[in-house]
Amino acid sequence: MSKTVIPVGPFHPLLEEAEFFKLHVDGETVTDIDIDIGYMHRGHEFISEQKTFTQSIYLVERICGICSTSHPIAFVHAVEDVDNIDIPVRAAYIRTVVGELERIHSHLLWLGLAGHFIGYDTLWMWAWRYREPVLEVFETITGNRNHYGMMRVGGVARDIPPEAVPALLQTLDMVERKMDMIAKAAADDPVLRSRLKGVGVLSRQAAIDYCAVGPTARASGVAIDVRKDEPKDAYGLVDFKAIVLENGDVYDKLVVRVLETVESIKIVRQCLEKLKTAPGPILNDVKEVSAGEGIGRHEAPRGEVFHYVRTDGSNRPLRHKVRAPSYVNIPTCSASCKGIPLADALITLAAIDPCYCCTERAIHISDGRGVRVTADLIQLSRRKTELLRREVHG
Amino acid sequence: MAEKDHFLDGLEGKIGRTIAKKGRLYFEVADKDLHDVVRHLFLTKGCRLSTATATEMYRGLEVLYQFSHDATGRYFCPRVVITDLKNPKMHSIAPIVKGAEWIEREMSELFGIAFDGHPHPERLLTRDHPKPPYQPLRLRRKP
Repeated sequence: MSKTVIPVGPFHPLLEEAEFFKLHVDGETVTDIDIDIGYMHRGHEFISEQKTFTQSIYLVERICGICSTSHPIAFVHAVEDVDNIDIPVRAAYIRTVVGELERIHSHLLWLGLAGHFIGYDTLWMWAWRYREPVLEVFETITGNRNHYGMMRVGGVARDIPPEAVPALLQTLDMVERKMDMIAKAAADDPVLRSRLKGVGVLSRQAAIDYCAVGPTARASGVAIDVRKDEPKDAYGLVDFKAIVLENGDVYDKLVVRVLETVESIKIVRQCLEKLKTAPGPILNDVKEVSAGEGIGRHEAPRGEVFHYVRTDGSNRPLRHKVRAPSYVNIPTCSASCKGIPLADALITLAAIDPCYCCTERAIHISDGRGVRVTADLIQLSRRKTELLRREVHG
Repeated sequence: MAEKDHFLDGLEGKIGRTIAKKGRLYFEVADKDLHDVVRHLFLTKGCRLSTATATEMYRGLEVLYQFSHDATGRYFCPRVVITDLKNPKMHSIAPIVKGAEWIEREMSELFGIAFDGHPHPERLLTRDHPKPPYQPLRLRRKP
């Protein structure tokens, strides 16, 4: 058998964003994987340290287009952690509603993509069709389909108007019915089962070694969920289950996400019910943040988003560290892809629901002063493609 | 000095200045004791490494490892201070915690810290860059 390197990326139909996986194969079997990141970094940590806390909320919201409220929630948690700032109970419920609605639309997005990657386009069209009304709900209650601008240090920026609730509940009912249908049609489909069961197994020990988080870890039997482990906002006030499965394969990762979507719907319903009687205000007035350190985290759809903030008493962070879930989940592919057939490798890579925008947020200074500009990136990309072409084809 | 935390029993003499607040414990450790502390947190107590943060301060480069104890929701953060700014280096924890490989490569690339014993001591973000950076990317002072 000959040994070959199969490049997946930097630009590839499988990847919505630029990333580079070099799959070393012996015949049809993947023997090793080399992951190369660095195509998407934009300097969020560095920029944030030059912005005020409120400005940084809008900045970190743009780290990712999918989990665009997870980063702001983790960031405001970190700033609130510096001074042990409490938030009003109504704001806590609103934060939880927004966070869980995001999980619903993100899991539906992944479900569709997963179906698409294995050639089950009906699933893709179903999932994305039912995701759309969730985005419309977001537009109704926040003003935007994405990048909601809802978080503030000390609470939230906008209330959920009571007149928006009936439509929201209707959408939740519809999504719940459809998730049941998808669960039956997709997860119990014998063809899909045989395609995904036992594929790309991440063992429990490997998940612990790589410090994996979110559905990637929970599908491997590691029972970690920030919502349970350190319940902030309204997570300690609502009843829900953390979904943990044992096998660590792609099928279990799919089932975890489907069941989590159903749990998220339950959480949102409970919060909306409690909002009827939870009194305002929605924002505590935070005048200043003293010098100190704070850790903030939130269970994003892909796992724990971690923000660390160090302050010096001014109105901006002295140091702001962002760690997205994909940053720790992507390296687990080294464990889950080894020894599997090449045809299974792509869905295994996709099963962690990687988000490269989140993973890379560091700055690249080319001349000690400025950041790399778009033209340079295009040039770099072309040059790398050419180098790769020569490497592969001689 | 904060009240003694029994979670760190067995590490007497290895824990320096400590700041404790509401479930978070930030404490300084010497580089030579870092492996013992990390083994205790990761292997004995079952903590998970969330990430690590390097910060450029007046007294030197600070590297703060953030370990989460998920069973209790607490955080344990050993901090190593590097004062030799001409040759900033410290021990890598990647041989103990595989999940530290990327973040240590990133800190090395951004702040110029050499991690002794790292299994893959190469750049993370600009590994195959046609024009490799000539200095650590985020260091404000001259290396």
